[in-house]
Formats: sequence, C-alpha cells, structure tokens
Amino acid sequence: MSILPDSGIKFKKYQKQKNEKRLVKQSSIAKIAAIMRFILIDRIFSLEPSSRIKTVKSLSLAEEYLADHFPAFPVLPGVLLLEGLIESASWLVRDAENFAHSMLLLEQARNVKYKSFLAPGSQIEYTVDAKTIEENVSSFTGFGASDGERIVEAKFGLRHFNLADEDSTMAAVDAEIIENMKKRWKLLKN
Amino acid sequence: MAMSRNEIFQEVQEVMVDALGVDDDEVTTGAKLMGDLGAESIDFLDIVFRLEKAFGIKIPREELFPVESMMSNPDFVDNGKLTEKGLAELKKAMPHTDFAGFENDPDINKLGDLFTVNSVVNYIETKLNAA
Repeated sequence: MSILPDSGIKFKKYQKQKNEKRLVKQSSIAKIAAIMRFILIDRIFSLEPSSRIKTVKSLSLAEEYLADHFPAFPVLPGVLLLEGLIESASWLVRDAENFAHSMLLLEQARNVKYKSFLAPGSQIEYTVDAKTIEENVSSFTGFGASDGERIVEAKFGLRHFNLADEDSTMAAVDAEIIENMKKRWKLLKN
Repeated sequence: MAMSRNEIFQEVQEVMVDALGVDDDEVTTGAKLMGDLGAESIDFLDIVFRLEKAFGIKIPREELFPVESMMSNPDFVDNGKLTEKGLAELKKAMPHTDFAGFENDPDINKLGDLFTVNSVVNYIETKLNAA
C-alpha cells in the first residue's frame, strides 16, 4: 500500500535500478582494483608469441600473506602459485592480441597439483604453453619449478573481454586498465 | 552407523569431487590430496566441513589435518625438517596415516604427501567405530 501515485512508484523503481547498477559498477571497479594489486610474477624471461612463456617469481619473506601461512613455516599459498601461472598465461594472450582486452580472467582450472612448497629466498620459474588462443578464450598447460623440483602444475583456461562489451559507459575504465597493463608489461619484459 | 570401508570410501570420494572439482576416477585410495588432487590450505577447511556433514560427525580442529599446529611450532620444525619431537607429535596426532617413507626423511616439503585419500578413509572408519 503506497501513498505515491503510479508515476511516483515507477520513478522510485527506476531510481532503485539506477542505484543498483551504480553499486554493481562501483563494486566491479573495486574488484578490478583489487585484482590489479596482485603481481605474482617478477620477470618475463622468454616469450614465443602465441606459444610459450617463461617467467620467474622470487619469493620474499616480506610478502604479507606469509605471516599467517604459516608462522613457523612460511610458504607461498597454493592459490598464489596458481595465480603465477595465470598471470604468465595472461601475458601470452595480451601479446598475441595486442592488448585488445582489459579483462583476462580464469575461466577454469583442471588437474591442479601442488607437488612441493616454495619458501622465501627461492625462485619459481613458470613455463606455460598455450594450447589455443582465440578471440575471447584461451587454454594452457603450465608448471612451476624451483631448483629443478616441481612445485605446481595445472591445465587452465582464460576468458578475455572488455567491460564495454556489456556496458558501453565502461570504455574509459577499459582504456585505463589496458594502459596500466602496458606499463606493467614494460617493467616485466625489461 | 555400521558403514563398510567401501561405503566410507565412496562418500569420501564424493566429498573430494565436490570440494576439489576433480573427477571421481582421479580420487583413488592412494591419491595425495595436494600432489594429485590439487588441494591446498583453503580446501582442507572445506573438506573437513563436508566430511562432518556427510558422516554426521564432529571433527575437532586440527584432528584430521594437524597442519597449523605442526607448522607453527618452532619446536617441531627445524631447518626445513621435522624435529624428532615434531615427528613424534605428528605420529601421535595422525594415527590414521602411513609414515613409512616420510620417517626416513621428514622433509617439511613432503608433509603434504602424507595426506592421502586412504588416510582420510582410515580416520573416518576409526571415528565411526568409536561412535
């Protein structure tokens, strides 16, 4: 039972929808910012376009998540080992598609195996091979090794898109993300 | 709750499939949770929760996977290996586990290999029989 006339109700509904859209957009931007804060590889050693990439990450005792994982035995969490593989693959895609897309996200991961731990002071070398790279999807198989020992293996797929695909008002956000990725590329490739 | 060992295994298998997103034919008795099925820290919590629900039991923290207590205690870990004290404590904490290979070289990096599907089945069997 509402005291508002019909047009008033419709207007309220429209306002609510707009608000919700804005909140979703804000939270998307917050999520993107959060994703961009993670950098789980330090250097790209080699890259064969659309084929294979080799990267390296040095693990530092100063990385915040190590304090709890675990206090007497700091090791890089499994999800972040996987993240290193994903980031490595992402650069293969960005290079292959010339930074066409802002969003590169994990679509699926299979046969993930954690063979050993990575401790501070160690380096992990990721080798990722592309099985397919298409316009909006790609698939890879990769592993990480340290001192000749296997640490992590996985088969995984990514999907790539622009926010503007769904919402044209996000084009500027896409552009900003792509600019940031291009800058990071320069630091990684060195 | 007289479940046969095979019935217990089937339930455990289902838990692993749901928790880890693997196929059921990957979940063999000898499969290592981390090395073969891709389980890592967050997953252990999920697995315990699902086992509690599947079997209607309570699994006290660290009883099935005494990870934190082992890894957080400097008396138990020294220079990447479990100390004698640590090994003794771990064996006491995990009677459901086979320490044969691990004992010879208690390399902390190999700790993950101890957590197999079989050890989980052993644990559940013991729990259900005690109930």
